[in-house]
Amino acid sequence: MTMKPLLLLVAAPLAFAQTPDISGFWELHFDSRNVPEASLTPDAAKMVREQRAHDAHAIRWCYNFGVPFLMGMTPFDVIQNSSGKEVAITFPYRGPSRHVYTDGRKHVNPDVFDPSSSGDSVGHWEGNTLVVDTIGFSDEGIIGIPGGGQRSSTSHLVERYRLVKGGQQLSVTFTWEDPKVFTKPHTYEFRYFRAPKGTEAREYDCNASDEERAKFLTGPPGQ
Amino acid sequence: MERFLLLTLAGVAFFGTCVLGQTSKAPDFSGYWERHDDVGGGSFGGIFDKIVPKAELKPEVIEENRRTAARQAAGDVVAFGSKWCLTLSYPFFMQHSAAWSIVQNEKEIVQVHEVHAFARHIYMDGRPHPPAALLNPSTTGHSIGHFEDDTLVVDTVGFIGGNTPGGGKIGPGTHLTERFRVVDGGKKLAVNFTWSDPAYYVKPHTYTLEYYRSEPGTYAYEEYCHADDPKQSGSVVPPAQK
Repeated sequence: MTMKPLLLLVAAPLAFAQTPDISGFWELHFDSRNVPEASLTPDAAKMVREQRAHDAHAIRWCYNFGVPFLMGMTPFDVIQNSSGKEVAITFPYRGPSRHVYTDGRKHVNPDVFDPSSSGDSVGHWEGNTLVVDTIGFSDEGIIGIPGGGQRSSTSHLVERYRLVKGGQQLSVTFTWEDPKVFTKPHTYEFRYFRAPKGTEAREYDCNASDEERAKFLTGPPGQ
Repeated sequence: MERFLLLTLAGVAFFGTCVLGQTSKAPDFSGYWERHDDVGGGSFGGIFDKIVPKAELKPEVIEENRRTAARQAAGDVVAFGSKWCLTLSYPFFMQHSAAWSIVQNEKEIVQVHEVHAFARHIYMDGRPHPPAALLNPSTTGHSIGHFEDDTLVVDTVGFIGGNTPGGGKIGPGTHLTERFRVVDGGKKLAVNFTWSDPAYYVKPHTYTLEYYRSEPGTYAYEEYCHADDPKQSGSVVPPAQK
C-alpha cells in the first residue's frame, strides 16, 4: 500500500498548523516606527508639495485613504481566515478593508484590474513570516509614503509580517519599489503592539458635509 | 510498524483539522457572496418589493413617513447621503449589488464589503454586549454571535440609525437578530433578519435574503465616492430649502 495519499492528507493541515496566528487588534505606540529617509528620484523630490496638497484634499473630502496611510491608523484588526485562504485587515476608518489572498492565486491581470488605493495583495508564508506582495495602486486617497515619496501606478510593495516578543508585537517591514519615485528600494518597519484583551472595532467617521470641519482643515489655524 | 505510522499520521491530521481548522464544528461561511435577481424584480431595489414584506409600523411612524414623502413630493431634498458620500450604515451592503465577503476564525467573523462603510465585526468569543452606558452607537452596531448547529446566530444592538428593506426603521433602541445558514449544498447563503424596536414596530419585522456563492477567484473591487465631484449629486439640484 502506498502511503503517498495519506501523507498528502496529513501535509495540508500540518502546513496550516505551522502558520502563526497574527489575528487580533494591533496598535502603534509612540516608539513603534523605524522610518529612514527615502532616496527619491529628482522628479519625485519635486513632487512633495503636490503630494501634500493631494493628501490634504483626500482628507477634506473623505476619499478612500488606502495603503500605506491606513497601516498607520490603529487599532486595526487582522482576521486570519481559518481556511488559510485569506487574511483581512480592517481599519477604524471607513472604506475598503485590505484583502490579502493566501490561497495561492497570482495577481489579477493588470490589464483587467481596476487600480485601487489599497492595490491587489497576494500573500504566502515563509516560515513564520507572512509575505504580502501588492501592486495595482491608484492615486486615490492619501498617497504619501512614510520617509518620503508617494505611491503610484508603478509602485510595488512587499510587506513582511512576523510576530515578535512572544507574540505581543507584530513587526511589519514595508519595502517600496518604484523607478519613478525611489532611486533604491525604500524599507521601513512598524512594530504594532497587541491591543488589550476585549478591544473592539471603533468607527471614526468622516463627514465631508461638515462645514466647521472643512473650515478647520482648509482655513488658517486658530480661527 | 507501518500500521503504527499510519495511525499516528491519521491522528495528527485529525488534530490539525479539528483544532486549528476548527472546521469540524463551525460551518465555513468564508468567501464572497452576491445577490441575484431570482424573482424578476428588475433591479436590486425592485427585488425587495417581491420578497420583503412591508414592516408593520406604529401609527406615529407612518404619519412621520407620510409627512416626509409629502415634503419630498413638494421638492424638498430630504436626504443628502448620496451627494455627500456619507457613511452607509448596516444593512446597506447586504442589499447592494456588489459582492461582499466573510472572513472567519474561531474568535471573530468579519463581513467585508466594497462600499464606503465600516467593516462589520461579529465577536464569537463569548463576550456579551457592553452595558448600555458604555455602548458606543455605531453604523454597524455591536454584534455578537454563536453557532446553533449549522446556523450562525448574530445579535446586534447599538445602532445609530438607518433604514431596512420593507420600509423599516433603525434607531438607538433597535435590536437585530440574524440567522445565517448555508443552503443548496453550499451554493447559497440564507440570512434571516428580524428587526425589533418598540419605538417603530408594531411587531418584529422579519424577512430572508439569499446570496449566491461567488465564483472561485473573485476579488474585491474598491468603490469610490467623491463628494467634491459635481457629478456625484447626479440629477439632484437642491432647491431652496424652507
